[in-house]
Amino acid sequence: MKKNVKPINYCGNCDSHNAYDYPTRMFCSTRYDQNKDPIVDTLWCCSDWNPVSQECHCVREALKEKERRLKQR
Amino acid sequence: MRRRDYLQNPVKHMKISGKLTVNQLIQQFKNSGSFGAGRLAAACDIYEKMVRDKDCTVFLALSGAVIPAGMRTLIADLIRARLVDVIVSTGASMVHDAIEALGGHHYKGNSVVDDRELYKYHIFRIYDIFVPEENFVRLDFKLAEMYGEIAAEKKGESLSSNEFALELGKRLKDPNSILRAAYEEEVPIFMPAVRDSEFGFIHWLHSSQQKQKTVLQVDAFKDVPLICGICGNSPKNGMIVIGGGVPRNTIQSAALASKKGLDYGVVITMDRPETGGLSGSTLEETVSWGKMKGEADHVMVIGDALIIFPMLVASVTERLGNDFKRVPYFSGSKIGA
Repeated sequence: MKKNVKPINYCGNCDSHNAYDYPTRMFCSTRYDQNKDPIVDTLWCCSDWNPVSQECHCVREALKEKERRLKQR
Repeated sequence: MRRRDYLQNPVKHMKISGKLTVNQLIQQFKNSGSFGAGRLAAACDIYEKMVRDKDCTVFLALSGAVIPAGMRTLIADLIRARLVDVIVSTGASMVHDAIEALGGHHYKGNSVVDDRELYKYHIFRIYDIFVPEENFVRLDFKLAEMYGEIAAEKKGESLSSNEFALELGKRLKDPNSILRAAYEEEVPIFMPAVRDSEFGFIHWLHSSQQKQKTVLQVDAFKDVPLICGICGNSPKNGMIVIGGGVPRNTIQSAALASKKGLDYGVVITMDRPETGGLSGSTLEETVSWGKMKGEADHVMVIGDALIIFPMLVASVTERLGNDFKRVPYFSGSKIGA
């Protein structure tokens, strides 16, 4: 039986995200409206998080990038 | 007509040998005088006449995706050489200009591609050109700031679409930008359907920001007396159309409303007339409305504007020579006067 996989609360899985510096940084339109800094990390998340309606590769690629950077250290 | 009147000009066969300049090739096309080659050669003759005619104001209608496809610098150079006097454009063409002015790029891609995959990578496709989403997002962010600045400066007063283009051009520093070149050379850019582009969505972003005290107002109705004034004050008017649609109709309607009628017309399109849509309608149809004079020099070139228009410009600038300096009848500083 398939398990229900709950999406991880990352900005890159949120419905307000747009690519700003793919894949690591996002532009958040909700934060922009609220006069907050709209440029956020893909792997960050806030209390306004809403699941995205359609999957994209942002989180997957951002995790890969994070891993790559960790290896470089 | 008598029988012999139909048989005056024999087709001269093209001779392609050795090195050939673009204009020499166009002359070979003219010798043939047939099909697309003959039409392109006629278009070159008409555009040359337009720019040599001291009384003519040259309008350029821009639609379709020729700016992301590589014609941005060509148009900016035409503005700087004052080989066009007024531009009427879709909002989208100027959006793509602004994207590059802010450091973004359009990429050579492929029309046969997995579009679902592109979607997942936040890449948009314009036939065989790829545009990363961040180009638009960075544009949104930067231009929303500019909208705020412009709104604050104008204190709630509305702008015509060409004033809006001027304000953007003032703030973009890239010399290859169409908006920047138009600002520096005082060439008006009208965008009658400005809302139907990213400019409209940036307005939504700008106006929804909670700190925004004054919201930018752009009123395309304000364009009407301005563009009609340009046509009306100019002894002659000519248009070159890339595509058609709203930009073509805006120029033609201004020519009609100002009771002038166009004196020259070149349309480059791949659309067909049978649907009744303006992008494919013949210039003879334009005559029936009074938008173009019956005796106007005109031709419609059926083909890809990305091939036709650069050839047209290359041929005509070659004919004009390096020393040619056009003194345009219309000056942008007189707009609205």
